[in-house]
Amino acid sequence: MATKMMIFCGSDDPQRVFPPFMLGSGALATDMEVTMFFTLSGLNVVKKGGAEKIVLPGAPKTLPEFIKVVQEGGAKMIACSAAFPIVGVKEQDLIEGVECGGVATFVIGAEEADIVLTF
Amino acid sequence: MEVEELKNLTVDKEVDARGTACPGPLLEAKRSLTGVPQGGIMEVLSSDASTNRDIPLWAQKIGHEYLGTIEEAGYWRIFVKRGK
Repeated sequence: MATKMMIFCGSDDPQRVFPPFMLGSGALATDMEVTMFFTLSGLNVVKKGGAEKIVLPGAPKTLPEFIKVVQEGGAKMIACSAAFPIVGVKEQDLIEGVECGGVATFVIGAEEADIVLTF
Repeated sequence: MEVEELKNLTVDKEVDARGTACPGPLLEAKRSLTGVPQGGIMEVLSSDASTNRDIPLWAQKIGHEYLGTIEEAGYWRIFVKRGK
């Protein structure tokens, strides 16, 4: 069975946004199953037009490029709906391929994961 | 289960968690399930999009059976059969 990695993405600070994508794409390249859980200001990564505004000079790819890489690699991207009213995001604001999830999605996913990373 | 089958189920307990955000519907479902006999059906009404993913995961984890979901205007009806 494939190794499972769960990544908690709770920030829109470029210093905290890019590592999960770099590590996530690396995990996918080594045939791991990757789930990325976006909450609080991390939702800005997966809302339409949000990723373009998060820039890290010198990074190997832009954030929209990284999102494309992990999505094509089969990563599951989950948006935490509990944080929607806090950040002012609605389900229809999310980019394509992102699904809504809640506490059970994260805690059960984390329990079943071999690796959990938090950013 | 198909939508028609779900609509014909005899529900032992209906939990209206509409208007509450995650984790509200899940916690209400857990609390209410104690009033459902083993093998009985609980229907959870939720307007929170996460519940669609969370309830099936929770049910499988705990040993209940997730039967399916009917989408209504602005909310979902989620059916769970109590296991243990």
